[in-house]
Amino acid sequence: MPQYGMVIDLKRCYGCYACVMACKVKNHTPPEVFWARLLKGERGKFPNTMRQALPVLCMHCEEPSCLEVCPTGATQKLDNGIVIVDKDKCMGCKACIMACPYGARYSVDKWESYFPDGLPLSEYEEFAKKYWEEHSGCGVATKCDFCLDLLEEGKLPACVEACAANARTFGDLDDPDSEVSTLIRKYRGEVLNPELGNKPKVYYLAPR
Amino acid sequence: MDPKVNGQLQNEWGGLIALYLFLGGVGGGAYTIAAINSFLGKSMELSTTIGLWIGFPALFIGCLFLLADLGNPGKFFLAGLKPGTSWIARGTGIISLFMVFSFIHLVLHQFTEVSKTSVGMNTIAVLGIIFAVFTIAYTGLLLSASKGIPFWRSGIVPVVFVISGLVTGHFLTIIGMVIFNEGAKTVSQFSTMALEASVVVVVEVLAILFFLNAAYKQPDSRESVERIMQKTIFIVGYFILGLGVPLVLMLILRYALNESGLNTVLAVAFIGALLGLIGGFLLRLAILVCGALPTLNMGGFQFRRIAKPKDLKPGIGLMPPK
Repeated sequence: MPQYGMVIDLKRCYGCYACVMACKVKNHTPPEVFWARLLKGERGKFPNTMRQALPVLCMHCEEPSCLEVCPTGATQKLDNGIVIVDKDKCMGCKACIMACPYGARYSVDKWESYFPDGLPLSEYEEFAKKYWEEHSGCGVATKCDFCLDLLEEGKLPACVEACAANARTFGDLDDPDSEVSTLIRKYRGEVLNPELGNKPKVYYLAPR
Repeated sequence: MDPKVNGQLQNEWGGLIALYLFLGGVGGGAYTIAAINSFLGKSMELSTTIGLWIGFPALFIGCLFLLADLGNPGKFFLAGLKPGTSWIARGTGIISLFMVFSFIHLVLHQFTEVSKTSVGMNTIAVLGIIFAVFTIAYTGLLLSASKGIPFWRSGIVPVVFVISGLVTGHFLTIIGMVIFNEGAKTVSQFSTMALEASVVVVVEVLAILFFLNAAYKQPDSRESVERIMQKTIFIVGYFILGLGVPLVLMLILRYALNESGLNTVLAVAFIGALLGLIGGFLLRLAILVCGALPTLNMGGFQFRRIAKPKDLKPGIGLMPPK
């Protein structure tokens, strides 16, 4: 069984938000829910400063802290390493949201329009709301699942497909010859905040 | 706007969870004091009776607030089917056992002729105390198990909550004693309760200072400490009005009102206890709302979740908070 993981090359990422939008379009997430996100960081002192984008998503940790705190068994780790939420078992306690140091989980009480002033849902929003309620749902924890349905069709996650800079690579971390394993080995892939001990399976190639 | 990007602070657990944690502490604390006082016999009869009446209902109401906060409360029963797998599942078991023992103790104490000093009664009291203390500690363990909030992720949090639970348990019992006082003969019980409460309040002051000092030394939780120290609900509401003033009033009650009339004693006890009770809630609320997400580090960059727009000063744009 493969152990899925991702490598994000920060030298290539220029922060265009295509991954964020691709995730939204694929998963029809409601307002304020971003399974794929983009953070911006700065370093140095003026005038020698640098700005860097950091795409963030569920790290599908080897030792997920969200799994440890889930009281109902809704959070599960599949054999392929992907961490999922079974919406039918989630009671919406939000303990997993508090437990995730990467801020990868979301919960919304109800679907609200993207548009202000109480406008009725548009035709697309009605469709998206229905899709969301079928696949994820309101009142329960939701998160990125590496586009599990696309993987089952032999396709790549939406954020990987959408990345114009080819900054994202997806594959089997257990296969030493896979592209992800090679990139991690060759460019010394790092994980975010390794001191937390979650052992994330999303690796980053640091900016230079 | 993505709250995770634009909000450094967690915004999922708020007032309802603070009430749950507070009432869990009050219920466990009031029961513990009542059960301990029951060993003192007739001299603390009123405080024992009131504490026993508070324990179970306070916790029950607290659980209702938890249910109200759940996104999918109909699935709450699933938490009881996986005991030992998480702190919420463990807490469900602990709270259930505490409710059973406190209910049995109340029934035996109030509605039967069982001797207050019998072995059976004492056994129930000891078991009740154990699960009451576990219940209060659980409210802190729930937070300290949250790896995503470095401020909460401290072994001192459950200790602070246990001490605060005992303090607020005292104060709610005192309020009950004011309401159901039995005239002049109650004054000595107020004096004893005031002394007990004063000691625990001093311990709480030391514990909270130790907690904040330890958290400030950790880079990831420093922001939370800085924020909580700027919160009016914490400094004024909790520390001054919820700890300082009640401590002074309890000491006055203990040492300066021996010769005063019953009404003065009741007034001082009520005001001190009410302020202390409100302070206990504000402590939990402040700890919750000041829970900051950790900074993510990569390649020498610090990727902070930037402050909410309302925290930004005009003209600075999206600068992170200091």
